[in-house]
Amino acid sequence: MEKQFDSEPAENVTREELTSVMTALEPDQIIFAKEHHHCPRRELTRTEMILFWALRIYLVFMVGVVVYQIWTGAR
Amino acid sequence: MSEAKSDGMKEPKTAPEQPVVVVPRSDLRDDRGPAVSGVVITHEDIDRAHDREQVSATRARHGLRPRLRLFWLLIGPGILVMLGENDGPSMLSYAATGARFGIGFFLPFVVLTFLMACVVQEMTVRLGAATHRGHAELIFDRFGPFWGWFSMIDLMVGNFLTLVTEFIAIRAGLGFFGVPPWVAVLGALLVLSVALMTHRYWTWERIILGAAMFNLVFVPVALLTHPHWEAVGRALLTWKPLPGGITQETVLVLLADIGATVTPWMLFFQQSAIADKGLTTRDIRFGRVDTVLGAALATVAALATMLATAALFTHHMSTANFEAAEFAQALQPFIGHWGAALFALGIFEAGMVAAITISTSSAYAFGEVARRPHSLNLPFRQGRSFYLVLLLEAAAAAGLVLIPGIPLVYVVLLVNVIAVLAMPPALLFLYMLVNDREIMGDLISPLWANVLALGVVIVLIGAGLLFGISVIAPNALALVGGR
Repeated sequence: MEKQFDSEPAENVTREELTSVMTALEPDQIIFAKEHHHCPRRELTRTEMILFWALRIYLVFMVGVVVYQIWTGAR
Repeated sequence: MSEAKSDGMKEPKTAPEQPVVVVPRSDLRDDRGPAVSGVVITHEDIDRAHDREQVSATRARHGLRPRLRLFWLLIGPGILVMLGENDGPSMLSYAATGARFGIGFFLPFVVLTFLMACVVQEMTVRLGAATHRGHAELIFDRFGPFWGWFSMIDLMVGNFLTLVTEFIAIRAGLGFFGVPPWVAVLGALLVLSVALMTHRYWTWERIILGAAMFNLVFVPVALLTHPHWEAVGRALLTWKPLPGGITQETVLVLLADIGATVTPWMLFFQQSAIADKGLTTRDIRFGRVDTVLGAALATVAALATMLATAALFTHHMSTANFEAAEFAQALQPFIGHWGAALFALGIFEAGMVAAITISTSSAYAFGEVARRPHSLNLPFRQGRSFYLVLLLEAAAAAGLVLIPGIPLVYVVLLVNVIAVLAMPPALLFLYMLVNDREIMGDLISPLWANVLALGVVIVLIGAGLLFGISVIAPNALALVGGR
């Protein structure tokens, strides 16, 4: 996921438009800033990791239940 | 926002033949942004800045009128997401609920589900306004691609299945008027494409907001059935027991009604829309009002739908295998042709608006993850991948609907059930992000918000497990008072 955005620069930007962007937007709202600035990755704690996996297993199991219901419904 | 991540970066593409405006970093108002030497201005920035200038100018004025105008400028994502979630499958779930079970248990239950939706969506308002980033982007950045892709797969699969049901609703709603399925589906795709041609978030939002308000068409339909208002009031205040007890069928309907109000796409859509609209931390209060107002409007439409079809329950009509148009036809003796036509139009509108918002949420998420431009402010040439994902997903779902013989109500209920099952993992990501001080600063969730969010997760997991028991071991429902 190291690829950056490919936003194209605006053509023929007027002075007014430039001023507007600089004054009306917060610095981290500007697309160029977003392209160059990503939130750093955080380390998951053991508890968070267990929760993530538990909910993933729950989801996979429940999708299996839905498939089973569709199968029995079809029969 | 936190430190810039310097590794693995590349310079943005610039087309040498175009006049590119590079602004010295010192021209920016403060140093919260990235440590780079200059800033390239994009078309999207200019459009968003124009919208924000109007907000700032209005905010600077005092009095009731400027206040109302500010409200008008800032509302949108909350109402859109709530009325968008009152989609084809949701309205059909409410219709099936009213027709099969009446109003005693389910009127207050639906109010409760919208309160849960408010709790969840408020978190996305704060997250979007504080980070200016979409939900998928934050998940990938903070938790890495391994968990990010899980989240994306949940979203994309859920969105695609839901989109299929939206086109089923569109087909069924227009089918009442004798419109052939292929005409209905192609017409809907055309409307979706035309809405995108504005290339302005603001204009798109206003058009879809106008269309979404048509969701309230279920109110006059309900009034035409002459509801017994005392019974309605009693149902809302006393919350009667589940009719027939807990059975496999009632559990399915319960889950479908929960899935009609809280689903993963809503998290992704509202946060991305807030970032695209350009809301900031100063706008959070209005974002909350927007969300609550949307929930209130959606609740009214949902209750009205149940009230309308409760007439079928009162007259003991069997509606087990009804499709959308059949609900309208069955209601015709009670509300007349115009009432039935309004009901069918309401189903069409619910499917149409949701098809637009759900495909947009997929396109936002794809753009954020693939690091491609993703904004409704982009001209087609610059946002090609964003618009193509949006249109192709909708077209694929529309194509599937033309396959004859799909059991509509069953598919619709199951799609809502899948949405409920996918919510707990999605809520865990949201909960962790909104409590992440590094990206939220002082806007992390207070204790009461965390308690409410935890309550929602427990309800959703409990409902999911109840559904699992009802399918795998229906006899075990007796242990929880069912049969």
